[in-house]
Amino acid sequence: MPTILVIEDIPDNAALARRVLNAYGYSVLEAADAASGLDMALEQHPDLILLDLGLPDADGQTVAGVLRGTPETQNIPIVVFTAWPEETARQMVRAYGCNGFIRKPLSVIDFAQAIASYLS
Amino acid sequence: MTTDGFHDGSAIELTPAASFTIDELVAIYNQTRIDYIVPMPMNSQRLAEYIRLYDVNLDASFVAKADGDILGLAMLGVRRDHAWVTRLGVLPNRRKGGIGRALMVAMVEAARQHWLKYVQLEVILNNTPAHKLFLALGFEETNQLLVMRRPPGPVKQPAVGSIEWLDWSQLQRLVRQQPHGVPWTNQSDSYDHMAMVEGCRVNLADGGRGWCIFRRQPLVLSHIRLHTEAGDPNAVGSALLAHVHQRHSRLDTQAENIRCDDPHLAAYEQHGYIEAFQRIEMLLNLVANERVNKNPPQSAS
Repeated sequence: MPTILVIEDIPDNAALARRVLNAYGYSVLEAADAASGLDMALEQHPDLILLDLGLPDADGQTVAGVLRGTPETQNIPIVVFTAWPEETARQMVRAYGCNGFIRKPLSVIDFAQAIASYLS
Repeated sequence: MTTDGFHDGSAIELTPAASFTIDELVAIYNQTRIDYIVPMPMNSQRLAEYIRLYDVNLDASFVAKADGDILGLAMLGVRRDHAWVTRLGVLPNRRKGGIGRALMVAMVEAARQHWLKYVQLEVILNNTPAHKLFLALGFEETNQLLVMRRPPGPVKQPAVGSIEWLDWSQLQRLVRQQPHGVPWTNQSDSYDHMAMVEGCRVNLADGGRGWCIFRRQPLVLSHIRLHTEAGDPNAVGSALLAHVHQRHSRLDTQAENIRCDDPHLAAYEQHGYIEAFQRIEMLLNLVANERVNKNPPQSAS
């Protein structure tokens, strides 16, 4: 069962992601800020990281940069979770070496399908 | 303090932010931003640092309430003869009720009471309700500002020219010669409050020369400012950025509030900076403009 690390500070968004991912059979780890997210990524080696760009202690881009610059995490797929306009999100994803993005607000079915496609 | 504003039939009460703990202010602030496209949430450490770096005066900053419910907040930075409105936000389900206006009027009034000459602020481009509010209060657009990012990575242009890394006293002298109109976040006062400020001067073979200053945090470079003293700003800026990113190739970079007419924009682009979003900088001249004073907040009895 793939494990997904959700780095998201808004409890409602994190809970919704967890419920959907659990319903589709994924194991979920949760971090509410950048520091704990980076620690979990290093310690738990998740199969995919779902990363919010707006975190209380550091921006999501900074987290993505650290993950990509760290040998233990550089190959973990990162999917950005953002309300940014599509073109901006696309540029950020490309620049920071992420694998894709999912727009907020979350569409449950699209979300599950997107996660499955990034994992495959 | 109560105002002449009402929300759902209840008077809007404004309480100085100094009456709240940092944790409480963080909780209020994050709630007001929860649905923003660029939410910029904070934790307590980050807000406390923000207050310190940007000279936020919590006695002149306000939390809005009605019937005991918190509705929003806004903060006012104060430096010498001018002020800066920041962190203005209203809870998503309480907007369009005059709360933002009440907060703004109270802060402008506080600025007047401090005998300040002008108030400045930035509003994110396409935040139409806030932009309209500021225009209605007499603010005028002064600049359009860019917020850009550069991911960690090797330099994209050669680090040419002779480089000299400067100590804080040298940097302080340079940054204090700032031209009028530097955005609040990048004014010399902000650097005065920071630890780990770095900067350098470059001299090019063709006589071009300039300097830069930035803040180095453990994972991020920020508050970057480039200045060309002679020569082509593109060449000088590119050389400066090459030396900075060669030295700190593993760090993410945020360039905040760079004016859209900054002569170094091409250099930023050459070094892989991408635009995240834009802000409009606005200014209210308190000496010349009396419009917002027509509806001053009334003192609580």
